[in-house]
Amino acid sequence: MSIVPKPKATELSFEEVAAKYPQFPRLLLLKTDLQRRGVYYTKQALSKVDPVIHQLGGTHIFGTRDGILTQRPEALILRDGTSVITSPTPLEQNPYIVDFRDGRLVVMDGGVELEEVEYWTKPDYYNLTTSSGIPMSHVASARPQRIYLMPSRYCHFWTDNQGCLFCDIVNNLKQQKSELNLPPRLKPQDVAETIREALKEPGRFTAICLTSGSDFHGAEDFDAEVDYYIEILKAVGENFATPKFPSQLIATAFTEKQLERIYRETGLLSYTPDIEVLNERLFEWICPGKARWVGYQEWKRRMVRAVDIFGRGRVNTCIVAGVELAKPYGFNDEDAALQAVLAEAEDLASQGVSTVYTVWVPRPGSYLRGQKNASLEYYVRLALGLQELRQKYQLSIDHDDYRRCGNHPDSDLARI
Amino acid sequence: MSIIFSKELVELFAKKDTVKVLATTDAKGMPHVVVKESLQLNESNQLIYFELLESSQTNKNMVHSIWFNRPVAVALIGTGGESYQIKGKPVKSIVSGLLFRDYYVKIREQLGDVDLAAVWVIEPVEVIDQRFNIRSREEEIRHPYFKHLDRLAK
Repeated sequence: MSIVPKPKATELSFEEVAAKYPQFPRLLLLKTDLQRRGVYYTKQALSKVDPVIHQLGGTHIFGTRDGILTQRPEALILRDGTSVITSPTPLEQNPYIVDFRDGRLVVMDGGVELEEVEYWTKPDYYNLTTSSGIPMSHVASARPQRIYLMPSRYCHFWTDNQGCLFCDIVNNLKQQKSELNLPPRLKPQDVAETIREALKEPGRFTAICLTSGSDFHGAEDFDAEVDYYIEILKAVGENFATPKFPSQLIATAFTEKQLERIYRETGLLSYTPDIEVLNERLFEWICPGKARWVGYQEWKRRMVRAVDIFGRGRVNTCIVAGVELAKPYGFNDEDAALQAVLAEAEDLASQGVSTVYTVWVPRPGSYLRGQKNASLEYYVRLALGLQELRQKYQLSIDHDDYRRCGNHPDSDLARI
Repeated sequence: MSIIFSKELVELFAKKDTVKVLATTDAKGMPHVVVKESLQLNESNQLIYFELLESSQTNKNMVHSIWFNRPVAVALIGTGGESYQIKGKPVKSIVSGLLFRDYYVKIREQLGDVDLAAVWVIEPVEVIDQRFNIRSREEEIRHPYFKHLDRLAK
C-alpha cells in the first residue's frame, strides 16, 4: 500500500472541478481539497503562531498524517467563516502549503496564492486547570464555536482487534498518553468545571459535542457506554439554566430503551451514531466491531427509531467518505461507489435520518494507512448529493452544520 | 482600488436617524431588502453590519454572495434629503475570534439579550449619489431626449 501523491491522469484538477461544478462554492471546494490533501506549514507560517492567541493541536481523538501531535496550529478558518479541520501532512504527500507572505497568512498550491486564512483562536479556558490539576485543554478541545468532549478515548472494539480499519483512536491515545499525559477517561467533575469556564467566554461557543470509543460492556450490550455518557452529560448540564442545551452525541447505535434513557435523563438534543460506510458488505469488512456487536441493518434500524425520540433533523450519521473505495475490497469505480452510497443515504433520509461525511484521511496509525482517498470530484458530487437529499426530505442539519461542527463539506452547503 | 467616502457620507453612516437599507438576492435572483440599523463603516473604509439571525434570508443571501461573488447594495437616506446607494461585495463573515467577541459584547450591551450570528464585511465598489436634483441634472446632460416635449414648449 504505497502513497500516490499526484492525481491520476483521469482525475480532474482543482480548476477543472471548479469549472465543471460552478454550483459548488469555490471556498468549499478549497476546504474539501485541504482536507483531502492536508497542509504543510512553512517556517514563516509557524513563526506567526502565537500560543497566547492561537490554538495549538494536540487533543484530537484522531492522530495527524505526519504522526506529530503538538506545536502546530489546530486548524484554519476561511474568510466566509468556514472551518477547515485538516492535518499537517508530509511534503512528499503533496499537501497544500500554508505560508506567510506580504503580511498575510495564505494557502498556496504550486506557487500560486489561493486564499487568505486565519488560525483558530484559543479559548480562554485553555489557560486553566481543573481542581484536580488537569489542564482544561485536555478535558475539552475547542473548535471555533464548539466544545468537543471525548470522555473516553479507548474503543473496546480494539481489544478484540475489531477496530474500524480507517481509525487510529487507540494508537493515538497511546501517543497522547505518553507525550501529553492526556487522561484516557474523564471524570465528571473535571468536565463540569471545564464547561463552566468555557461558558464564561462571551460569544465563543454554540454547541457541545461528545464522542468516545465504543464500549460494549454492561447488563445489555453498550450499557456501560450509555451510563458513562449520562454521567458526563449530567455534569455538562449542571452549567445550564435550561433542561436541554445545544448538544450532539456521536456514539454507538444504541437501542431505543438506551436512547430514551439518555434523552430523558440529560440535556442532549441530537444524536449521531456514525455508520462510517453506507454499504453492508464493506461495513462488515471496514467496521468489524460494529458489525459484530450491532450489525449493519440493525444499526440503520436503530437510527431510524432514534428519530422518534430526538425528532426529525436531529438524528444523523456520518460516513468516512472515500473509504468505500479502499483496497482490496472497496469499489473499484467512483461512479458505482457514489451511486451505492447515495442510494443508502436516500433510504435513511426518507426515514428522517440525514447523512454527512468527513473526508477519509488514511492516517498512519490506522490499518488502511498509505492508501489514497477519493478524487476531489467525488467529494464534490457526494456533498451535492447529500445536501440535495436533505432538501428533498426537508431535513435540517443545524446541529452538525458549518458552525456547530465544521467538518462536513456537505452540511456547509446548508448555509444557503 | 478602494473607495474613498466623502465626509458627508461618513457622517451619514454615523447619524442615528439615517435609514440604512441592505438589498441582497438569493440563488435564484429573488431580491430581499431589509433595514439594517447596524450598517456602519469600519477602520478600513469597508461597510459592516451585525447579523443577529443566523437563519435570516439576508444571512443566507450574504453567504451566497460571498461564495459566488455576487454584489449587494446599500441605500442610505438622511433626514436632510441625503440619499446614497453603495454597491459592494461581501468579503468576510466574522463568526468567531477576538474581533467577533468584541462585537458580540458590544451588540449585547446595546440591544440586550440578543445573539450575534455574524459580522459581515462588505467591500464597496461604487458609490452613487441618489439625490433627485443630482440624478436629474445628470440625466439632462447625458440623455437630452429623455423628456416630454410639453416641458420645453413656449
